Amino acid sequence: MPTEWVLLSYRLPREPSTPRIATWRKLKRLGVAQLNDGLVALPDDARTREQLEWLAGEIAEAGGVATTWLARPSVIQVGRDLVAELTKARVEEYAAIIEEARSAAELGDSARRALKRRLSAELHRIGRRDYFPTAERAQAHEAVAEIVDA
Amino acid sequence: MKWATRAHIHIDRCACAWLIRRDLDPAAEFVFVQDPEEVPADATPFDMTGVELTHHGGDCTFETILRRYRLDDPVLWRIAEIVHEADLDDERYHAPEAPGLDVVLRGLSFFCDDEKMLELTGPIFDGLYEYFRRARELGREPA
Repeated sequence: MPTEWVLLSYRLPREPSTPRIATWRKLKRLGVAQLNDGLVALPDDARTREQLEWLAGEIAEAGGVATTWLARPSVIQVGRDLVAELTKARVEEYAAIIEEARSAAELGDSARRALKRRLSAELHRIGRRDYFPTAERAQAHEAVAEIVDA
Repeated sequence: MKWATRAHIHIDRCACAWLIRRDLDPAAEFVFVQDPEEVPADATPFDMTGVELTHHGGDCTFETILRRYRLDDPVLWRIAEIVHEADLDDERYHAPEAPGLDVVLRGLSFFCDDEKMLELTGPIFDGLYEYFRRARELGREPA
């Protein structure tokens, strides 16, 4: 379990909505845990810290206010709950991939190849926000690998 | 001249240092700092929050330097696409080389200090430059 978390505290003006949406998309892409309105967390490592620092810079450029923090929950269970929350989110994404991959057999050749390409790209994206080991990760990779691409 | 950036460099900072030595300042001296406050007064900071040469409007620092110094060599812009995708992975560009390069540099960074990273990655960027220069000249993938 990570002992250190990197937090992003941010506030953006309600209008214009474009930077708000861009920020929301980036946070989703990074797979953050939402602690509160305008407060998100990721396990701290070189990449997560850097990504949240860049996002803080972009929020400031868009007229908002944002700071990044290194934090340790004062109660161990809080950290465990965060890990559980992030793990559950990834497991659900992997489960959706597995389900789609299993439907591949019913498709024609070109649709099946297209599905395999799309799911492989999606696995790469999920992998970038997958911070804790799960059995579902390997299962999803296997399910996509097994799609016949002939 | 002195240039300063955050310690524990990865692809964007490695590529920027290579570019600075190649096109802006052959005698560039690099300083690696833990915090923006440690940037020496006579150094130009890059790739850190709150400075001019950093991420702007979705660009990574390598792209910012190309724009700021009007380096419009298309070969450097092809390398910028790879650096951008390896650094940000936001699918702005199609750069299939990016994930591989990201892994190579990340692996090196586990046992190399920042000076060693510059020494080892410089020739990698020279190689990329030569490859894409030839590709442009030939109009196909060089071999």
